[in-house]
Amino acid sequence: MVGRESLGSRLFDLVNIFIMLLLCVIMLYPFLNVIAVSLSNTEHILKGDITIFPKGFNLSAYSYVLKDSFLYSGYLHSIIYAVGSTAFMLTFTSLMAYPLIIPGFMGKKFLSVFLVITMFFGGGLIPTYLLMRNLHLLDTYWVMVIPGCVSAFNVFMFRSFYQSIPSDLRESAVIDGANDIQILFKIYLPLSKPLLATFALFGIVGSWNSWFEALIYLSDENKYPLQLILRKYLFTMSFDSGTGTAAMQAMLMQMKIDPRNIQMAIVVIAMFPIMIIYPFLQKYFVKGVMIGAIKG
Amino acid sequence: MCNVLSLRRFSAKFWNQRFLFLMVLPGFLIVLVFNYFPMYGIQIAFKKYSAARGIWDSHWVGFKYFVQFFKDPTALRVLKNTLLLGLYSLLWSFPTPIILALLFNELKNSIFKKVVQTISYLPHFISTVIIVGMIRTFAEREGVFNKIASWFGADPIVFLSEPGWFRTIFIGTGIWQGIGFGTILYLAALSGVDPTLHDVASIDGASRWKKVLHINWPHIKPTTIILLIFSISGILGTDFQKVLLLYNPDTYAVADVIGTYLYREGIMGARFEYTTAIGLFMSIVAFILLVSANMISRKVSETSIW
Repeated sequence: MVGRESLGSRLFDLVNIFIMLLLCVIMLYPFLNVIAVSLSNTEHILKGDITIFPKGFNLSAYSYVLKDSFLYSGYLHSIIYAVGSTAFMLTFTSLMAYPLIIPGFMGKKFLSVFLVITMFFGGGLIPTYLLMRNLHLLDTYWVMVIPGCVSAFNVFMFRSFYQSIPSDLRESAVIDGANDIQILFKIYLPLSKPLLATFALFGIVGSWNSWFEALIYLSDENKYPLQLILRKYLFTMSFDSGTGTAAMQAMLMQMKIDPRNIQMAIVVIAMFPIMIIYPFLQKYFVKGVMIGAIKG
Repeated sequence: MCNVLSLRRFSAKFWNQRFLFLMVLPGFLIVLVFNYFPMYGIQIAFKKYSAARGIWDSHWVGFKYFVQFFKDPTALRVLKNTLLLGLYSLLWSFPTPIILALLFNELKNSIFKKVVQTISYLPHFISTVIIVGMIRTFAEREGVFNKIASWFGADPIVFLSEPGWFRTIFIGTGIWQGIGFGTILYLAALSGVDPTLHDVASIDGASRWKKVLHINWPHIKPTTIILLIFSISGILGTDFQKVLLLYNPDTYAVADVIGTYLYREGIMGARFEYTTAIGLFMSIVAFILLVSANMISRKVSETSIW
């Protein structure tokens, strides 16, 4: 741009930058505040004067939370469910999408319709719950990893990715005598690594953050994922109205720990893995959303 | 003779494709069981379900549960809440990412832009349990919300016990969660704008606002319409999981929506037939909404999702 910008235009740039800075503050403040509260002492928490820096630095909330064996069990189960459901999702989706690109495959039309129908109609919450009950899947690990691991949307995403791979590769492999399973594993999947990585991240984050399925399908606390353990801490440890148990209150009083201190500590612990991989995560998520938008 | 031949050819073809069928099989079975079996289970909306008799052999009762639902005063409250929360959410949460995307697009320093974008996506990756846990802390008597209110001279209140504040908090935090990530599709569309268009417009003396209005906005309009169609059809599908964590008996009057009602009555209260009937009714309404939004859009703007 050679020409001088108008005053209005420059003023707009200033305002826009100000809006962006404000946006950053609004986005980050809650997280910084949570971290600060988790590291502060009770006196300041009660006064409510903590902003983004801890006051009266203290780690007792962490040492309290880290003694709870349910925390470790929750972490472990969240990892099992996330890895399990993602592994099943990637395996079954990549297998199911492949035949849909083969010209002359007999089931192609039927399967496409079979899948599209599920995008518009479903059984809903209660019939699905009853099904799990009737299949005796309640309170098992299976219910956390198998249902929903194959979705029409994902199969169609994989299909369009496979379609972008030149079919000459497949045809020459057929001439060399390779069967379809070999072609999928030796040619298509190695070329689909970016797709697999994106969907793996989608799957892992989705499973890590989900809690409602666990709430309705699991009643055994020893199988709870982290989110439900977190929910227990955040929602049953209330001290203003005396809904927390008296014993717990007395103990916390004695240890001079405010419940919010503990709650925020466990929030930090639960957010930790997502925050660590965040820069990497958001890049793949943005890419993933674009794949979906352009091809879907 | 002819039939035998074609049968033989058919089975030969099938045999040739046996690996393909084998690959499809696990996915097919999972979708059949977990997507189609529940659809089969919908019939209990019209039956007196008995676990001993099974779904098929339970007795028919006609539209009993639908009538029951519409006669229940709670049902009307729940329907109204679902509709209002959905409408207000659409009204506030739909346009905000578009505005933000247009503002992002005006930033000249690409590093600054990248940083702001990355920060704005962050809440999207945090679980609902954590988000609501934070909201509850901030909404307390000593919390941040009250501190901000006190700058304007307001007396401290317990926000989450105030029915009048529920929708504002639900939708406001919803915008916080989704505004950044919601810009992605619009930014993708904006990146397709030919820069020479802007240069030509500048030569013609167009102001920045004019360029946004006549170049950028037409460019993202199709994306906007597609996303609007989906949002309209999703108006009744409020994020009930967030409501479930955020509401309490004090705010049921405005916060109780279909999803939370189904959870309490259906799963906690084991009224399976009644809640299946409500669920079925809601999916029919959602489907009608989707089809009509799409139809209107096709007429008005020639954009459609199918």
